[in-house]
Amino acid sequence: MNPVAVSASSAIGQIPADIASPVRIAVKNLNFYYSDFRSLKDISLDFHDRQVTALIGPSGCGKSTLLRTFNRIYSLYPEQRADGQILLDGQNILSNSIDVNELRARVGMVFQKPTPFPMSIYDNISFGIRLYEKLGKADLDVRVEEALRKAALWDEVKDKLRQSGMGLSGGQQQRLCIARTIAQKPEVILLDEPTSALDPISTGKIEELIEQLRTEFTIVIVTHNMQQAARISQFTAFMYLGELIEFGPTNKMFMTPNQKQTQDYITGRFG
Amino acid sequence: MVAVSQKQFMMSMDRPSRRSNQSGFDKIFRLASLGSALLVLIVLAGIIGSMIHGGLPALIEFGPSFITSSVWDVQRDQYGALVAIIGTLTTAVIALVIGVPISIGIAIFLTQLCPAWLRRPVSTTIELLAAVPSIIYGMWGLFVFAPLFAKFVQIPVSKIVEGLPVFGTILYSRVPSGVGVLTAGIILAIMIIPFIASVTRDILDQIPTILRESAYGIGCTTWEVVRHVLVPQAGVSIIGAVMLGLGRALGETMAVTFVIGNANRLSASLFDPGSTIASRIANEFNEAIGLQLNALMALGCILFLVTFAVLVLARLLVARVKTR
Repeated sequence: MNPVAVSASSAIGQIPADIASPVRIAVKNLNFYYSDFRSLKDISLDFHDRQVTALIGPSGCGKSTLLRTFNRIYSLYPEQRADGQILLDGQNILSNSIDVNELRARVGMVFQKPTPFPMSIYDNISFGIRLYEKLGKADLDVRVEEALRKAALWDEVKDKLRQSGMGLSGGQQQRLCIARTIAQKPEVILLDEPTSALDPISTGKIEELIEQLRTEFTIVIVTHNMQQAARISQFTAFMYLGELIEFGPTNKMFMTPNQKQTQDYITGRFG
Repeated sequence: MVAVSQKQFMMSMDRPSRRSNQSGFDKIFRLASLGSALLVLIVLAGIIGSMIHGGLPALIEFGPSFITSSVWDVQRDQYGALVAIIGTLTTAVIALVIGVPISIGIAIFLTQLCPAWLRRPVSTTIELLAAVPSIIYGMWGLFVFAPLFAKFVQIPVSKIVEGLPVFGTILYSRVPSGVGVLTAGIILAIMIIPFIASVTRDILDQIPTILRESAYGIGCTTWEVVRHVLVPQAGVSIIGAVMLGLGRALGETMAVTFVIGNANRLSASLFDPGSTIASRIANEFNEAIGLQLNALMALGCILFLVTFAVLVLARLLVARVKTR
């Protein structure tokens, strides 16, 4: 994963094909509006298959807004709208013909704080699966165990699957939310500052987990923590005031960024 | 560190008078607030005491049959509370069965589906509904609702169910006058809806946005989000809101007195007139003397006991769900 000739990269949001896996999500000229306020300005950016891409930038730069367009969760709010294109495997998900519920099963999301549903640990996982698949009890059990194992939570909860998900610790709850997401076998996982409410040990576990999940899923993570971005991502996009300033392989971004703004942000001079 | 403590010391030396004043005032303040709190207990104890004192002669005279007997005969001075107790419980249950689903529906609409511009008008209207005096509901119920109810519900329904098992008894009206137990239940439902709806709305509003978003985030439809995540999340608190409505339904007097028909008769039909504890007291208190007055007082005790039991039950239920 060592980038060689990245400076030859043509547009800001693209990486030469020879060093990257295929593109999973292609964002093209995306603009986003909260009522009249334009919070994303002409973003074009590629997300690569089975890689972790980190979105960084100071508060209000639009990184969470960008993340929230990939599963169209913003469309819960009538005053928010996006124009441009977001191609998920070549299909424009901003088009009106897309079934947003089905899209959200394909593009899973984990939030800033753990959000277990008010049901048992088992049901927290099986609920999402049952929305889209009709499985027998035995198959469902297998899927639940598989998801919990992948989320590194199985050993801690296998004896209390019938207990409420609310009874787990914060870190366990967040891994439960990750398990819930991967149980649906999504193509893409969106992580919106998933460790911001967690202690360092839980954070470490989540980061390890993300590292493992990369072998199966395309991951996009928004983080405030630059060390975290450096540790777990292969690509980093730096945003500022709704614009994409720079995008590239993470080690290049952190070692020798092209833009002065990126350099300043990463070294902590602003933001 | 030394400097600071020295400074503090100096300050306490400088202003001894203010400190002692302060502690004197504090004492008065504490006593005054204690007194206010005690006053509530004293008033409550006084009410319970005088109710029991007033009702005791009737309870002694009739014993347990005061509760089990359906006779209420002023001429022969024989009193039993059964009809009123059953009427109270039946109307309250009808009110809940009709009112709770509608209230929860309103709350869900307001918090999840309502466009922003419509939310305020609807919310305000519901709150205004709660402010309508109960006598207005009573008048409206008797003069407007009851005749329509008789014409469009009691008469056609009675015709349909006549002769059928079960329904032929429960929903049959010999004299379709419009007033009756079901009418009272419906009016009560209308009266408790604003309470349950607005409390439930506030509860649903307090559920973190992020939980709602994560339910949508796994691909739930609005119905699935509401049914499987939001309502269970709010569960215990919604029970609290329902109990609030139940408390009101049990004790509501004026509106019920207008539309229930005030008959002391046990009937299996919901279309027939009946009476509740509160309506019986309101009807007879003016002319009651002697044992009749004692019996009404005893009725009051029973109503008190029932509402108290509902309250305790609600608390226990909430506590149990919380610990689970």
